Amino acid sequence: METIRTLFSSKTIAWVLVLILAIAVPPIVGGYLTSMLILIAIWTIMCFSMNLIFGYTGQLSLGHAAFLGIGAYAFSLITVKLHVGFWPAFFIAIAFTGIVAFLVGIPALKLRGPYFILVTLGFAVIVGVIVLGWIDLTGGANGLYGIPRPNSIPLPWGATLRFDSLLSMYYFILFFVVLIGVFCHRLIHSLIGKRFIAISYNENLTESLGINTMSQKLLSFTISAVMAGIAGVLYASYNVVISPELTHFARGMDVVAYLIVGGAGTMAGPIVGTMVLMSVPEVLQVVPYLKTLINGIILMLFILFLPNGIIGWFNANMGKLLKSRMAVNGPA
Amino acid sequence: MALLEVSGLTKSFGGLMAVSELNFDIQPGELLSMIGPNGAGKTTLFNLLTGFYKPTSGTVTFNGMNITGCKPYQVTRHGIGRTFQLTSIFKQSTALENVMIGKSLHAKVGVWGSVLKTPATHREEQKTREKARAILSFVGLGDKENRIAGGLTEEAQKRLSISMALATEPKLLLLDEPTGGVNLEEISGLIALVGKIRKSGTSICLIEHKMRMVMSISDRIIVLNYGKKIAEGTPKEVANNAEVIRAYLGARYAA
Amino acid sequence: MPNFAQGHLYMIAAYLGFYMVMSYGMSYWLALVLATFAMGVFGQIIYSLVFYRMRSAPEVNLFVAAMALLMVLEGIALTFFGASTKWFLIPFTRRVITFAGLAIPLQRLIIIVGTLVVMILLELFIKKTTIGAALEATAQHREGAMLCGIKVSRISAVAFVIGTGLAGIAGMLIGPAVLLEPTMGMGPLLVAFSAIIFGGLGSIGGSVLGAFILGLVESLASGYISAKYSLIFVFGIMILMLLFRPKGLFGREVWRP
Repeated sequence: METIRTLFSSKTIAWVLVLILAIAVPPIVGGYLTSMLILIAIWTIMCFSMNLIFGYTGQLSLGHAAFLGIGAYAFSLITVKLHVGFWPAFFIAIAFTGIVAFLVGIPALKLRGPYFILVTLGFAVIVGVIVLGWIDLTGGANGLYGIPRPNSIPLPWGATLRFDSLLSMYYFILFFVVLIGVFCHRLIHSLIGKRFIAISYNENLTESLGINTMSQKLLSFTISAVMAGIAGVLYASYNVVISPELTHFARGMDVVAYLIVGGAGTMAGPIVGTMVLMSVPEVLQVVPYLKTLINGIILMLFILFLPNGIIGWFNANMGKLLKSRMAVNGPA
Repeated sequence: MALLEVSGLTKSFGGLMAVSELNFDIQPGELLSMIGPNGAGKTTLFNLLTGFYKPTSGTVTFNGMNITGCKPYQVTRHGIGRTFQLTSIFKQSTALENVMIGKSLHAKVGVWGSVLKTPATHREEQKTREKARAILSFVGLGDKENRIAGGLTEEAQKRLSISMALATEPKLLLLDEPTGGVNLEEISGLIALVGKIRKSGTSICLIEHKMRMVMSISDRIIVLNYGKKIAEGTPKEVANNAEVIRAYLGARYAA
Repeated sequence: MPNFAQGHLYMIAAYLGFYMVMSYGMSYWLALVLATFAMGVFGQIIYSLVFYRMRSAPEVNLFVAAMALLMVLEGIALTFFGASTKWFLIPFTRRVITFAGLAIPLQRLIIIVGTLVVMILLELFIKKTTIGAALEATAQHREGAMLCGIKVSRISAVAFVIGTGLAGIAGMLIGPAVLLEPTMGMGPLLVAFSAIIFGGLGSIGGSVLGAFILGLVESLASGYISAKYSLIFVFGIMILMLLFRPKGLFGREVWRP
């Protein structure tokens, strides 16, 4: 009974509509917009990752986008230099990202507040330094190229599913967006998710209730890093080429901006925030380096006046909208 | 065997001796009260017992096990629960969710189980929810389980914080000023709750300032002043102790 | 409140000085005073517009605001100063002074002397003046300070402005010694925080000692191993300290908010 009721709740209907739009729109709008949507999708996954560790567990890891870079570079190196196939490389790359995150998390999560933030930022800077500097391995400023697309999948009725086209990559990546979105949703609403949220509100209180907050934080940190790694692999595969720009620490800050503007700690926030902030420079046709400035200004305005983001504002005011309707029509 | 044994416990912050050479024990089933002027070191003692501070020296033994220097979550898992002087609850969650977090340390749940919604995980979550519900009714908040914690009255919030500590199934419950900020009529309700908890088998250590309450419900009282124990005994013994009177009221009244 | 944008403020100061001296032919010392003053004023403006408004917001929001400030500053630098590196050349400070068998560029000497002077002045300010005492009090216990009649918001503004002013001095002192680029503030910021963590939270002496030790590590690593990776060594040592002795060299209790 519960399941049927949730299946038809207005929230679920809204999500289904969004999904239908996401599936139906790209074939209609053509190549340029589809490639925009692909990038938005990839950074939305990164935003989901940030939402888990920051929005829901309260740890502002400024360097988390570095895990996207690590995933991208690990995958690219394994496929281009070691000629490993797509799927084995995929899993190795994200496993590697997870392991690095675990190792980084152990000392980093011992710190609280600004010190944690700085250590994660430092980690991102160092990843950037290594990627740029280790020219033999990473190609330095030239980056890596020739990164493969997913292997073709033979379909039961004789055709093959190929991933050469823009559209096919879009659906491939959309699949991961949905997968990771559902994963996050279920995790957040479970008991483990409740522990994360408790930690974000009051870590000392949570610990006094017998919960090993260090291990829970580490769990959230690692899982979200793996998500970031997946985003990285998808980016590398889609773009065929990667460069150190991907590992610049400003990327991590951009993602935080997307999250806050959309609404941290909500399910729709990452999607909305990423869409809005990534579209703005396109719409205004601005030069790339102006992006950081614009993101910074928008973020500053939001953190001052709308700290809960667009969705946060929406959630807070939905009640008012509903109440006024009740007042007019009277209680049912 | 004593439930809790504290021996030579000392804590200094730089030059300040917050707690100095404390020795005492708590017997199973008893209600021990800690009293003393403000700044006497009572809350510091609780922080030391529960692992929020590391002692400069001394040992804490609980149920025969040395728990000195254990992290707070380990102390709780050994069986010591506590509330805080500043009512600590998760204001943005419902009352039921608050207690569920308290109970969650016993839940056997994992990431994959949660994400795949396995029956085992579902059962654990249900079990946690039911037990949390039971604790809420035990403390008298059964009808408020879906209320947002921040919207409850001060007294209800105190009850909630007690229920969260109870959810961890402690053998010893440390209550730090449970009637702080609560008005006179509501105090008797909280006193009754403390009695109820005691009757269910949990030992209690209480920090309080309300003398009448302390005198009426405690088995034993320990008086602290400037981090040192200056008196220990039954309520009657302590009330007549010259040192205690001097500490509270000044030398004039000691004679 | 640790200000992440501190590194970028230092960067802006360096650029300001660069333009004042290089484009307008201003004297170095005048530029130093002006840059410091300008940064101080800038700090007051930022404080009033942003951090004062957020004084009752959750701590995390303040960090995000500092980060947003960082992004804005970097964006401004990229837009108005360009991404290419610039060389802040002051002819007389490039002279090399030789004594006791050592050859030291004058700018480095200026940095050393300047830093010592600033540190001594700061110590005196905190220990000897009323405002300094108020700063200490507020840092140790906000509520207590308020009870004593200290206007906490005003003091916070003072602290913030001193911070930005110091960034100004740093930018002018160090600018001529290094290449200018928009991200030049990041490295020093990280080393500074590493020094604080390494030396121990809550101990000023520890931070200074940490800064010296880590600075030494960075120089040695630059010289003997590789300049590119010197930051990694600094960071690595800080991480090691975290793993084995989270309190740092002289730290007080591990920070529990």
